[in-house]
Order: sequence, then C-alpha cells, then structure tokens
Amino acid sequence: MAAKFALGSEPVAGSLAPSKKREYRVTNRLQEGKRPLYAIVFNFIDSRYFNVFATVGGNRVTVYQCLEGGVIAVLQSYIDEDKDESFYTASWACNIDGNPFLVAGGINGIMRVIDCGSEKIDKSFVGHGDSINEIRTQPLKSSLVVSASKDESVRLWNVHTGICILIFAGAGGHRNEVLSVDFHPSDIYRIASCGMDNTVKIWSMKEFWTYVEKSFTWTDLPSKFPTKYVQFPVFIASIHTNYVDCNRWLGDFLLSKSVDNEIVLWEPKMKEQSPGEGTVDILQKYPVPECDIWFIKFSCDFHYNAAAIGNREGKIFVWELQSSPPVLIAKLIHPQSKSPIRQTATSFDGSTILSCCEDGTIWRWDAMENS
Amino acid sequence: MCRQDSRVRMSAEEEMAAEESLSIYCKPVEFYNILQRRAIRNPSFLQRCLSYKIEAKHKRRIQMTVSISRNEKEGVQTQNLFPLYVFLARLVPDVAVPEYSATYRFSRACMLSNSTGVDGSSQLQANFILPDINKLALEAKSGSLAILFVSFVGAQNPFRGINLSKGPVDMASFPSNAGGYCLWSQIPLELLYISWENSPNFVLGQRAEMISTIDMHSCFLKLSCLNEDKCLMIATPYNPETVILSQQLQVTISAEEFGAREKSLYNTYTRSDIPSTLLSHIIRLRAGNVIFNYRYYNNTLQRTEVTEDFSCPFCLVRCASFKGLRHHLCSSHDLFNFEFWVTEEYQAVNVSVKIDNWRSEIVADGVDPKLQVFFSCSKPLRRRRPKNLYQSLKHVHPHVLQSDLPAGLCDLSDKADDAHSSKGDKARISGVSSSLPQSCADPGCVQSISGNNFAPPAMLLFAKTRKLSVERSDPRNCALLRKRQFFHSHRAQPMTLEQVLSDQDSEDEVDDDVADFEDRRMLDDFVDVTKDEKQMMHMWNSFVRKQQVLADGHIPWSCEAFSRLHGHDLVRAPALIWCWRLFMIKLWNHGLLDARSMNNCNIILEQCQGQASDPKS
Repeated sequence: MAAKFALGSEPVAGSLAPSKKREYRVTNRLQEGKRPLYAIVFNFIDSRYFNVFATVGGNRVTVYQCLEGGVIAVLQSYIDEDKDESFYTASWACNIDGNPFLVAGGINGIMRVIDCGSEKIDKSFVGHGDSINEIRTQPLKSSLVVSASKDESVRLWNVHTGICILIFAGAGGHRNEVLSVDFHPSDIYRIASCGMDNTVKIWSMKEFWTYVEKSFTWTDLPSKFPTKYVQFPVFIASIHTNYVDCNRWLGDFLLSKSVDNEIVLWEPKMKEQSPGEGTVDILQKYPVPECDIWFIKFSCDFHYNAAAIGNREGKIFVWELQSSPPVLIAKLIHPQSKSPIRQTATSFDGSTILSCCEDGTIWRWDAMENS
Repeated sequence: MCRQDSRVRMSAEEEMAAEESLSIYCKPVEFYNILQRRAIRNPSFLQRCLSYKIEAKHKRRIQMTVSISRNEKEGVQTQNLFPLYVFLARLVPDVAVPEYSATYRFSRACMLSNSTGVDGSSQLQANFILPDINKLALEAKSGSLAILFVSFVGAQNPFRGINLSKGPVDMASFPSNAGGYCLWSQIPLELLYISWENSPNFVLGQRAEMISTIDMHSCFLKLSCLNEDKCLMIATPYNPETVILSQQLQVTISAEEFGAREKSLYNTYTRSDIPSTLLSHIIRLRAGNVIFNYRYYNNTLQRTEVTEDFSCPFCLVRCASFKGLRHHLCSSHDLFNFEFWVTEEYQAVNVSVKIDNWRSEIVADGVDPKLQVFFSCSKPLRRRRPKNLYQSLKHVHPHVLQSDLPAGLCDLSDKADDAHSSKGDKARISGVSSSLPQSCADPGCVQSISGNNFAPPAMLLFAKTRKLSVERSDPRNCALLRKRQFFHSHRAQPMTLEQVLSDQDSEDEVDDDVADFEDRRMLDDFVDVTKDEKQMMHMWNSFVRKQQVLADGHIPWSCEAFSRLHGHDLVRAPALIWCWRLFMIKLWNHGLLDARSMNNCNIILEQCQGQASDPKS
C-alpha cells in the first residue's frame, strides 16, 4: 500500500550558504508570558487583515497587528476558562458573512471558534478524543477547517454551522497521533496529513462532497448531521523514518519535515486505477541545521515563494521554495534568540517573519528596504 | 423437618410480613417441582451416571499401599533387590506338585523398581484394593491370603523380556511357564488385619500405617499361567550354594478407606464422650446429612431442613458428595443464591432467593401465563396479598419432600406446561414469519433504499429500530439520562436531551453510503467482471445489507423485493436484467430460491416491462 520510491534522479539539496538575497533585521521582541508559544499565524483569509496575526500558548489566544516600523500592537486577548488548557494551534477562518474567526485547539481536544468581530466565542467543537495538534483552513472555502488530533483522526468542520462533516480515520487511517494537516491549494477535495506513524497520507473527499455542501445549509442539530468516516486515503507515503510533524502542499507537490534537519519536497505519483498505491519522487531537500526535535513547523508566505523555519537554537532559516536548487534566502540569527522556535509566521509578501519561542517570546524580523 | 427459627421475637404485623416474604420461595420451588416431575419419566444422563457412582461409593473398600522404605544404611542392599515384584496371592491348599512347598494363586502383580522407567518415572509403591474390613475378617481368618515379595537378584530373571515397564504387570504377556532362583518373602494378611482392627483411627476412616522388616529368603520360583489361573510355585532350594542369599527389607504398608482423600472437615468429627465403636456408626449415619437454611425476611429469619445422603431438597437428587451437591445446586437451581460451609459440626447450605434475576418462567400471581409474551421479562414481580399467603406456603413444604400428586395429575400439569411452552414457541415463530409479508406489503420499505440516509430511514426490516421503551418509561432512568451530556457514538457530537430520549438507536448501524462506496471500490478491483455484472453485484450487495438479508430463508422474499425495487431500472437495461436472471438461476441451483418465487420475480419484471412499453398505464 505504501508508496515506493521511484527510480530517478537524486533529490537536489540546497546549499546552506546564505545567498543574501534579502536581509532581515530584528525590529521587535515581545515577551508574551512565561509559557511556551506553540503557534503564530498571519491572517491570509481576509485581505483587510493581512497584517494581523495570532499566537497561542497556555490557555491564552492573543491577536496582534504588525504596524510600520516594527511596532506590534495587541488587539485582543482571549483566556480559556480552563487554566489547564494548553493551546497548540490556531487558524484563521471566517463564516459565510465574512466575519473573521479564529479557531484554536490544544490539549483539551476542544476547538474554540472565536468570533474576532464580536470578540466572543462563537462555538466550541467537541468530538476529538484527544489533543489537537494542528488546525488549517480551506483557503477556497474559508469556513471549512480541518483538524489533526492525537486521537489518530483528522476531522473536517464547518465553522459557520458548527458541523463535523467528515472524519478521516479508520481502517486506512493514521496509526498514531496526527501532527499536521493541509488543504490542497487548488483541488478542493484533497488534503494531506502526517503524523507519528511516520507516514504522509493524502485523502480525497470527492465522493463525500455532497455532505460538505449539505453542511452549509444544515439547520437541524449538528449532532443529527450524518457525519461520514473516510477510512481510506488515496495515497500513503513513507518518506520519513521518524515523526512527520509538518506538511504543506506546494502546488501538487508536498513539503514535509521530520526530525532529520531538513524539509523535503516530493511529488506523489498516484495510479489512477488503484487508489492507495503509487510512487514517490523526492525532488528537493532544504537543510535546516539543529532542527532535530519534533513539533517544529514551518510557514510560507501567501504565494509559497519562501518558507521560514526555526530550529532548536533559536535560529531561523528562510528558503526560497520554488528555485532549483533551493536557495537559502537568509539565515536569521540573534544572540538573544536561543530558545527553540516552534512555529514561524511569514507575512503575505514575506517581508516580515515572526517567530514564537518556547520561552514565551515573539520575535519580529523585517526585510531591509535597500536589498 | 422444617422448623421456625425462634430467636427473634416479632409483633403480629411483622410476622405477617415475614410470612409474606417467605412466599417468594413458592414460585421457584414450584418451577423446580415441575422440572423434577418431568425428570422422573426421563432422567437425565448425568443423573443415571451419578447413581452408579453413588452405589460404587457405598461399597466400602480399603486401599492398601505397599512401599519400600528407602533406608540409608541398607540402601545399597535394598537397591540390589530391585526390581521387586509384589503379589497379593492366595495360598492354594492342595496342589499335588511335589517339588514345590507352596503354591500361590494371584491375579495381579506389581513391579517396584527404583530405576527410572522408560517414561522417566519410577514406581516405588504398589496399590491393592481390599474389601471392607468386615468382609476382610473372614478372609484373614482363613489365613490363606498373603502379600508376596519376590526379587530376582543375580539370578536369571524369568520375567525379563516381558513387559516390565511399570505398575501392574500385564499378565497376558507372561509366559506360561517361567522359573528361576529368587529371594522371596511373605506377609500374611491376617497380621495386617489384626493390626488394622486394633487401630482406633482406622476404624474411624483414617489412615493406618505399619512398618515391618521382612527377611527375604532364597528359593526356587516357578511361574505358571494356565487357564486364566496364574500361579507362583515356590520351592525351598536343595542347592546349598544359594542359601547364603538372604536379605532384610523394610516395607511400609498403609491402608485407608478408599476415597478417603476426598473427605472434608465434616467427616473428621470426633467426640471424646462417645465410644469409638459407636462413633464410627454415627459418622456413617451423619455423613450425608446436609442442613439447608432457607433465608427470608431480608435474611433475618430462616427455616431449616436437613436432607440425607447429600440429596437436593428441590429435586431430591442424591449428589454423592457435598462437592457434588454444591455443583448440582449451582447449576440446576440458579434461581436461588447458595452459601456453602462445612465445619466439624455440620455441613450446611444457606439458601436465599435471587431477587434480581426474575425469569419469564416465573409469572406473578393473577397473571395468566398463556397470555404472557414469552420473551418479555422486564415485568416486575407483583407483591402478593397476604390472602394468598397460606395457600402458597402450603406449596413450599410438600415440594421440598416429595411430590405426592397422583401420577395422572402430574401428567396433566405436565401437559399444561408443554402446551404453554409450545404455544410460546409457536407465537415466536409466527411473529417472525408474520413480519415478512408485512414488510413486503409496505411500499416504504423498498423506497427507503433509494433515498440517502440524511433522514432516518422510514423502515428497516428486522433489527434496525430498537425500542428503548423500558428506559423511556422508567422515570428514574430518565432522570439519570438527563443528568449528564451524551455524545453520539459515531459522530462524537454532543446530543440534545430530545435526541437522547428519542427512539433512535444507531449504535450498531452500518453507514450505508460509506458501505456502498467501499463496496463499489472493492468491485472495481475485479478485472474479470464486466461493468454490468459489477453494477448488478453492487445493487445486490447494497440491497442485502440494507435489508439485512441474513438467512437462507430470506432469499425468496429478497428476490421478489429486489425485482420490485429495481424492476424499472432492470427492464431498461437488458444486460442488467440478464445478470439478474442468471443470478436467480444460480440461487435456484443452490436451492436457495424456489421455482415459484423465481416465477413471481419474473412476473414482476414482466409487469415492469409492460409498464415501460406502455407509459400510460
């Protein structure tokens, strides 16, 4: 079932010599609290708020705005009533009226849907049996979010109606925690997930799309919705030999990383006739030194030109994704940034890179104008 | 036999209540009496086996064990004596064989050896079963029985080459004539008998052990097996060279009543004020006595009954031992709770009625059992009014002892029982069969297949809708359901109270849409099947799953329903209709579909065809 490596040319690994294409400078540093920050994310859903980002850490969700000259302004802060909650992930979404929503999830397994317009909790999604490791929003239909959980399932939710539409789990599902999940940028039916079973699985919801459509017009109780189980992925890839903690689509290719100090770009080659089978072609590798602990995620700018990833020592590597061989745009080093960076956020055009660290700090790096 | 426990003083009112609570014994006892009456005519196999065992047990026998003491000092010498043969033999008084001084007849020989046998074990003791001590007295006095010890040391073993593995030597393999020089000795049984008779413990059924040293003398032994008679002939040797061979051997002979190992604490009853001769009699008398304490009135009162010979008070079956009684009660009378205990003073069983486990067999008073549905068992037992009390109490006593109804009456009530049960069975069967035409006639049943399952399907054939009426009707259960949040078992979504309390139970439902999807995917994997065949297979699989066609007997119905449901699609696609017909023929080949049903299906299809060609009708 698992995809095999295809014979072909060796993958191209990028050189770690910085190209100095762009230079970044620290413009702000913020101590949010003492608890580790696990996620930081720009709002790419609504063009009015491209400079708004959110962080999560502990039982707190904070919304900030990036202003000119390296200024970071706090807009909103939400504290979960359960002080044992520890949020691991957040994603921007919106309802069909276009109100900005922020969906956060963590150790409790409950997803909080925050209506940032009215500054209230709009809904809480229960259903996951364990912690939620990542939430992502469908950019083409931004009231659809998908969540990856320790309970070995991936679930598709409609934040507008509060419905759990599909559950990607079962016979062909993940066999350990799911750590990351991502929507295909153009194929609305397709998602990829990866996790502690060392595999990346690609799922199709084409056969179940009627249910997704149904979820938008559902007026009855959410618990009466015929939630479906998608038990078999269309593709399973064993690229890595350890936990796969982040995956993102780059067109039809996939970027994924494990604890092997690199991000891998590969192409899933599916056989049309027999789903689940296929081969993998590894195209490129983006080395990231000292990135050998799990739960470090990378971020990309809106157009997926660059990817920024932090490492265990507080350094950030910014890679040009779409050039071959890959080019290291910049290496962001600051003597005071020593704490592991769990997640970065790259702004719409890549000119600002934010990082959130285990020591509870947020760093802002801005590209220098002259370069 | 029953006596009231008078420890508690009670008011008249309390006594009434207590009496009433005793009446809960009536129904189960009555029930077991019915069963017992049936068993009289047709005893179960186990009971017949058991009565043989009881008889065998009542024959008292002695098990004698002869073993060789392994003395350290003489170890080496004793070693030399192995293999040693032990015989329980009878002296033949007048055999005219002049060379031999004595002739013994025996039936069984045991070989003792210290060398490890083929199977890795060595036999160091010989067991013999002797008759009861009273019968043994006669034998012993005659002085003819003796235990013989024979060892071939150095001499040629006449038994060599015969089956000498271990244990009782197979006599059939003995050569008819064998002989040789050996060492031999004998212990007359009379000696043993006297020692046993004088042992007070042995008379009380305990173990008696005797150690004696015997001298082994040299002799010439001849073994002859003629006409089933196995004889040992012994001659004192005339050859003086062999006389020097003489050895001492220490043997332990222990004896106890056969089966004494299984005895419980109760059997070790001792009383110093009773003479031992009487005591043994008492012990024998009381061995099978079991006290039954019937607890009632919240276990505060009890009635006591004593049964003899380990018999069950409900069905009078003799159970041979207390252990047997225990197994019998637990397995055959599980409407009661039993507590067992054994002390030196008594062996007792405490009985109480299981209140939580009312069966449908036990029907409350005032309810006609024939009107009862057989499998509804949730009806709580109604409390009886005191009016019925004495009448029902009367039931308890005779049942415990013996059913003294005349045989005719017995039969009559038996018949009534049978009629009752068979009617119940019939009702059940008809319940199933009547559901078939019903669902057939209901057009909704087939309609639901085409619809998706967003809305709960209007009809599901056999088991899909389960009424939870018991829970719903019980206000206490309802309150419990209201207390906490419930989540849907498939979707893990919180449920509203309305949903929790509704009739819908989808716990074990198969998601038909997903199952259809999986089925189609599975069929897609076939390469040697045409597209139409795949579609036919898919339609049938999906139909069978949704209608829960499980048994062979469902097939005729399902074929007709399938024809009715898909008829219009089938007649439009000739390839499909041929697939369907071939499939029906296949079913007919396997004997699953009868010709009439197949004909019905074809009539249905023809009607569809007619409608298709003439759209106006």
